[in-house]
Amino acid sequence: MEPQAFFEKLKAYCAVPGPSGMEDAIRERILADILPSGASYEVDPLGNLLVFKRGRERRPYKLVVAAHMDEVGFLVTAVTDEGLLCFDAVGGVDRRVVSGRRVQFCKDGRTGVVASKSIHIQTPDEFGKCEPIADMRIDIGETDREGAEALVRIGDFAVFQPNYAEFGEGLVKSKAIDDRFGCAVLTDLIHSDLAYDTYFAFDTCEEIGCDGAKEVCHRLRPDVAVILESTTAGDVCDTPEGARACELRKGAVLSHMDGGTVYDKELLAFALRTAGEEKIPCQLKNIVAGGNEARAYQTSGTGARVLAISAPTRYLHSACCVAAKEDLLAVGRLTRAILERSLPLC
Amino acid sequence: MERIYELAKQLTALPGVSGDEQRALGQVRELLGGSFDETFCTPVSSFWGIRRSKNPSAGTVLLDAHLDTVGFIVTAVCDGGFLKVAPVGRIAEKNLSAAEVWIYGEKTIPGVFAAKPPHLQESGESEKKMSLSDFAIDTGYTRETLETLVRVGTYVGFKAEAERLNDHIAVSPSFDDRLCAAAHLRALELLGDEDVGLHIAFQFSAREEQGYKGAMTTAYRVDPDMAIVMDVGHAYVPGAPERRKTAVAGKGCLLSYAPQTSRALTVWAERVAKEEGVPVQPVAEPGRTGTNSNAVQTTRGGIPVCLLSVPLKNMHTANEVVDLRDARAAADLVAALLRRAAKEQEGLFRHGTASLL
Repeated sequence: MEPQAFFEKLKAYCAVPGPSGMEDAIRERILADILPSGASYEVDPLGNLLVFKRGRERRPYKLVVAAHMDEVGFLVTAVTDEGLLCFDAVGGVDRRVVSGRRVQFCKDGRTGVVASKSIHIQTPDEFGKCEPIADMRIDIGETDREGAEALVRIGDFAVFQPNYAEFGEGLVKSKAIDDRFGCAVLTDLIHSDLAYDTYFAFDTCEEIGCDGAKEVCHRLRPDVAVILESTTAGDVCDTPEGARACELRKGAVLSHMDGGTVYDKELLAFALRTAGEEKIPCQLKNIVAGGNEARAYQTSGTGARVLAISAPTRYLHSACCVAAKEDLLAVGRLTRAILERSLPLC
Repeated sequence: MERIYELAKQLTALPGVSGDEQRALGQVRELLGGSFDETFCTPVSSFWGIRRSKNPSAGTVLLDAHLDTVGFIVTAVCDGGFLKVAPVGRIAEKNLSAAEVWIYGEKTIPGVFAAKPPHLQESGESEKKMSLSDFAIDTGYTRETLETLVRVGTYVGFKAEAERLNDHIAVSPSFDDRLCAAAHLRALELLGDEDVGLHIAFQFSAREEQGYKGAMTTAYRVDPDMAIVMDVGHAYVPGAPERRKTAVAGKGCLLSYAPQTSRALTVWAERVAKEEGVPVQPVAEPGRTGTNSNAVQTTRGGIPVCLLSVPLKNMHTANEVVDLRDARAAADLVAALLRRAAKEQEGLFRHGTASLL
């Protein structure tokens, strides 16, 4: 797919609300994109979308390429007498990126504002501090319980308001780049001419513990899982070089290890070699943190060999994830190059 | 209400961080010029316009709202395309992580306040007290390119659009104080071609957030006989002190009883509101009002000032929330005051009062 078309698709995917547990809309959108490819698919009971695409040849092992559909979001937990909404985060969200943001309710697109006591009426001990999410409230413009309950109920989902845009020099900015970017690469691959039979998994509920991927493993029993994701880039002002994890504009990120997974050494070496031969920029993640559904693929059933190919992304799990287009494209190219090859598995 | 929102939406889309109002003046003049017989821009970057009465010796009423907004100013351009900034006006740090901004450099570019993601944080980090010096704005540019676009002293403002939460509740950055300008302009529209027997001046004052500098100098230039200053006021929110329950969004515009306003005018305005059926909420402000009221009041030989406010939540954030019905009430009241001032406040407009000296 042409880069421009790819980023148009990414923009569309990022705009769809789909917090963990409510991936229906994004799955429908992805399904609409892959139907014309003729690939076979099924949706499992947990909402995972599994796709099988015939290649020119068979592999002696089963390989799945996975990305998760869900994004971090918010769940309404109570309505107050003043018509405000108590809520909690779905997935790991820093309270500080929530304060003062606008959110979009999934069921009707309604806008809510995370209320923020003005600095003028804060007490001095409140200055500079952010209250826990449990103490924040979403304002939907209602002033009493009846008014608010007529519009929103306990259990309703919301996400950060969509805001995809080009940013700076060759970057993009949006909510939910993690991991709609991976989904966009997968749909591209499904439409491409593949060397080998390949399974694709669009996982649910990664942000709350990879529950979707666990079921995918159970059904597919893959031998190899390649996870495409956004990984946190710490290349921001005042961060020492050794603590940056990875950096924008330095290519696809390959991991030895993260917060949940020790990656397969042979696959990692193979990926590095492939990137070198194909002259695809790549870098190694230099801290052990974060994690993705590789942990589920690696530990489910008899286990699978796992590889993660990631796009370095700043401000993950916020309303403004920032990623470099060249890195996003590099992940796509590297994944394609790996799928073209026969893997060195014993 | 629709018209006020439409006007406010146009005005909130304009730049104009305190000190950088010059950037907005051209568009302000374009948008508002048609409402006045003459318009001017002052050396301190305020805009003002006047609608003249047919009676050249008529008195002058001044309407005030401030043009400037809170924001930031660049203090350093850093490696990796980041900017360090200082605040312009009082801004809460707790809302800045991953907040979006406009950077008003050689061209206007978007920026995002950098935020450390949870994966890289140590435990307890999110509870710590933040200081603006801990933050940096990501521009997405390389340092080399960024240095051609931005320099120390470049202004930065919140980036968000005006939007309705429902029929009458709206959210936007810089409703403080662009919404009040919209309400004043709406009042003038309500008057239509009616000559109220007074010259009506409107000042869109610069630098309110920086010590009322625009208002004091523009009011000096206009030299009015009375003034109606309009700003936003803190609407009650849960958790705020009990005494703030006198200012509730949706219950009308606020009318300030304060040493920094004219009691006679305020009492009159409250009576007019009652007679015209306009909802108002009296509030008491014993010290500074935190608005242009004092700057206008103490211009020249002293100007009687009435201060109206529109209750607003989340002041000085990208999400200032208002009830448009309160802005409509303010517009209705200003229109009524303008219609009745020449007659009911005649004493204020007697020119040529003999000097006692």
